[in-house]
Amino acid sequence: MRPLSISACSVLQALVAGARYGFDVIDRTGLPSGTVYPALSRLERDGCVASAWESAEDAHAEGRPARRYYRVTAPGVQALGAATRHYQSLLPALARPARERA
Amino acid sequence: MRSVAETIVHLAAWLVPGDLRADWLREWRAELAGCRGRGWTERQLAMRSVGAWAHAVWLRADRWRWDVIWQDIKYAARFLQKRPGFTLVAVLSLAVGIGANAAIFGAVRAVLLRPLPFPEPDRLVKLATTSLDKPDSRRGTSSPPDFVDWRRDVDAFESLAAISADAAALTGDGPAEQVPSADVTGDFFAVLGVAPLYGRTITPEDDPVGTPDVVVLSHSLWRRRWGGRADLVGSTIMVDGKPTLVAGVMPEGFAYPLDSQLWLPLRFTARELETQRGAQYLDVIGRLRRGVVFDQAAASLRRYAAHLAELYPRYNEKRTVALNPMRDAMVGDVRPALLIMLAAVGFVLLIVCVNVANLALTGALGRQRELAVRTALGAGRGRLARGLLVESGLLAAIGGASGLLVALWGTRLIAALDAGVDIPLLDQTRLDLPVAAFTVVASALSAVLFGTLPAWHAAQRLDIMRGIKADAGSTVGDRDRQRLRGGLIVLEAALSVVLLIGAGLLMRSFLGLTAVDLGFDPSRIQTFNLSLPPTTYPTPASRAIRVEGLISEIAARADVEAAAAISGLPLSDYNYTISTSTIDGRTLDRDDQMRRSMQVRVVTAEYFRVMGIPMLEGRTFQPADGSGAPPVIVVNRAAAAVLWPDTAPLGRSMTLGTRLGQGGGPAGGTVIGLVDNVHDRGPGAPSRPTVYLAHAQFPVEFISVVAKARGETTELIEPLRKLVAAQDASLPLFRVRTMDQLAREAVAQPRMFLLLLGIFAAAAVLLAAIGIYGVMAHAVSQRTREIGLRLALGADRGVVARMVIGQALTLAMLGLTLGLALGAGASRLMRGLLFGVEPFDPVTFAVAAAGFVVVALAASATPAIRAARVDPADALRSL
Repeated sequence: MRPLSISACSVLQALVAGARYGFDVIDRTGLPSGTVYPALSRLERDGCVASAWESAEDAHAEGRPARRYYRVTAPGVQALGAATRHYQSLLPALARPARERA
Repeated sequence: MRSVAETIVHLAAWLVPGDLRADWLREWRAELAGCRGRGWTERQLAMRSVGAWAHAVWLRADRWRWDVIWQDIKYAARFLQKRPGFTLVAVLSLAVGIGANAAIFGAVRAVLLRPLPFPEPDRLVKLATTSLDKPDSRRGTSSPPDFVDWRRDVDAFESLAAISADAAALTGDGPAEQVPSADVTGDFFAVLGVAPLYGRTITPEDDPVGTPDVVVLSHSLWRRRWGGRADLVGSTIMVDGKPTLVAGVMPEGFAYPLDSQLWLPLRFTARELETQRGAQYLDVIGRLRRGVVFDQAAASLRRYAAHLAELYPRYNEKRTVALNPMRDAMVGDVRPALLIMLAAVGFVLLIVCVNVANLALTGALGRQRELAVRTALGAGRGRLARGLLVESGLLAAIGGASGLLVALWGTRLIAALDAGVDIPLLDQTRLDLPVAAFTVVASALSAVLFGTLPAWHAAQRLDIMRGIKADAGSTVGDRDRQRLRGGLIVLEAALSVVLLIGAGLLMRSFLGLTAVDLGFDPSRIQTFNLSLPPTTYPTPASRAIRVEGLISEIAARADVEAAAAISGLPLSDYNYTISTSTIDGRTLDRDDQMRRSMQVRVVTAEYFRVMGIPMLEGRTFQPADGSGAPPVIVVNRAAAAVLWPDTAPLGRSMTLGTRLGQGGGPAGGTVIGLVDNVHDRGPGAPSRPTVYLAHAQFPVEFISVVAKARGETTELIEPLRKLVAAQDASLPLFRVRTMDQLAREAVAQPRMFLLLLGIFAAAAVLLAAIGIYGVMAHAVSQRTREIGLRLALGADRGVVARMVIGQALTLAMLGLTLGLALGAGASRLMRGLLFGVEPFDPVTFAVAAAGFVVVALAASATPAIRAARVDPADALRSL
């Protein structure tokens, strides 16, 4: 499987770190909404995250619309791990100046 | 009411696949609510909501089955291949429509949009001295003392420079030649922010009088005359007869202003700065100080101008300084004309799209059966509609790609237009990335425009049973579809009528311009300019002798009817205005002096005869009117009306507010002749009051020779060159032109705009005719059986033909009415382009209307004849 994109990794990591819904993820990652939401949809399509709607009572009690909560699935945790290892393997190469690489 | 952010989200919702839409909307509402909870501004909310579009697009694209879309593309390609006629017409008209749009956009971009080729061009401005009653003028030259005062005292500018466009004679190192040049003050290159390729530019250190003579060369001149010699910088060349140090060479492409080929220091003597406050001949440009707002600078400049007016009321009273962005100052006048052309060519593309939509709609009708069968076999309507959209997309892509070729050719054509058209920066038109991007956008837009309607139609109104039975035939075509197509025709007709009216108005003004009697006869007149350098011709007398000698030798030739010289040819943008100082010995007050300003020309005796300017009263100059004789003048009718409104001018006298000539006395004299007016600024501008001085009495350095040929004008120039060279080999001839050429150039711009709009209008009318023909032919073929039945039942063939034509005319008339109404609105925008014709010109409107009706009739004739020739037997058999 192709490793996740950097932005997908950031989104997953934000979820792992405790973010639960879109607004939260945007806040933690600093990514634009036009990146975060498609990434969430894509991760959900690929089975890396699952989503569920907050109960109407909870939302009502807080006086706001219900949120869609996302959580990382087991395959999502695996994919994040694989992607993190992949990007880490690139780091030494990136750390060297370009001249040496050439 | 919904906020902006919510509206953005709701609009995006349309893209989201239906089954996801409700959840999607809930999620985004929650998102916005979260933002609001933090007290975000509407602006921040709107920024956040833009992400909803990215999300929606992603969700939609994720659903697309690319294999199916690929299938659609293959299917569309096959379909287009099978209908080569339709495809060819559609692609060609799209290519022309899109390409023409891109080419005109390229011109608009070059002239109006692309930043000037200087660093931080937004800070570049032009300063124009103007009168208080025309404070917004873009043109206006300034005097050296004013310029020096601004430079010293107005601190809105980082730097200011004065320019005096000129021409310089190059001698030595090859044949003598005259090239366009500019005398510039030390900050000129700093204002523009252009560094030299080699050596140095002119700097403030070159400003003081008495510093060494230096010259900066253009890249092209350096390459052409000196073969790009690297060691030229630092060596000495002959400029205007003086040894001059080559200080530097500019990079390729730099030729500001007006195609200058070399730059010399512009220096002011102390005496000039003392006495020349009235001599307004400098173009002044400046670079705004960083952080200074344009309006601020303009205001402080105006304040300073008022201050100068108080200090020097004699010259500066009622004068102010207008500040303009440099581009506006360069191209301001052609902006409306170019935008009108862009709108017109946009109309043409719209008509092309309407036409292709119409053709495609015919296609959709013919394919009813196929579409119905596919529906019956389970194809969704959305899928069918998408198939049709893919077809349009494919057509538009091919049309756009071909349009790119048309654009490439069109931009080159525009860039290569005759320099006589005189639109600054137009030669910079090219097919660059933004123009290519414009082409892509225009193509995509066209696809949407002409593809949506047929697709929507296919999706909405598909009656499977009727579709499958389509072959069995119905007696009446689907009325809705006919109505839709009729509506398209009306739109097309209206747009082409608008273009016809526009072209008609330009045609009328152009005819008006060319019908103007210029006041002289430009035929068979060869002209060239001479500049007599003070080094060789130090005294006025020596100049007079040289010019008189040349003229008499030229006039003596067998192939020359007459020859003369003048200090500024008509139609050559020459301007030499001097105030009138005295009339009949009476000194005028200051206002009166200005009000009675005169154009001043110095001529030799035969000038009026060569040009065919009628001598109304008195006589022209004679040999006796020489340097020792009392000064005499000839005035034109306009000058006589200004100077002596109530009496005959002959025998009266006047003097001008300048001293030129041999004796050093004020120019002017006793009137010995009255000549007719000449339209010296082109047929569209009124004649100016002009005073003609005798060259023998007031010889000038810079003169234009005019020679009337007995035979072909073109055969005259080589002998004249030799003749001049024989007298003084270092005297270059320049600006070699015929008067006919000047007369043509005077109307080159209106001619070009007429030609463009004429082409657009012709294309529009042709397309509209094709549209009408297509709709009527289709209607007739759909109704063959019905018509056959009517004929069998005894209908008259003439009635059938009239019915078809009547239908076509109804559409045409509706379009015409709409077009006339639109035209009445649109033509008012053209007022600035018109000469001698009102925007709402009844003749033009009537002719455009009549012309369009004729075209509509012609377009419907063939279908009408075909309808009348339907064989009732055939029709009945097929029932």
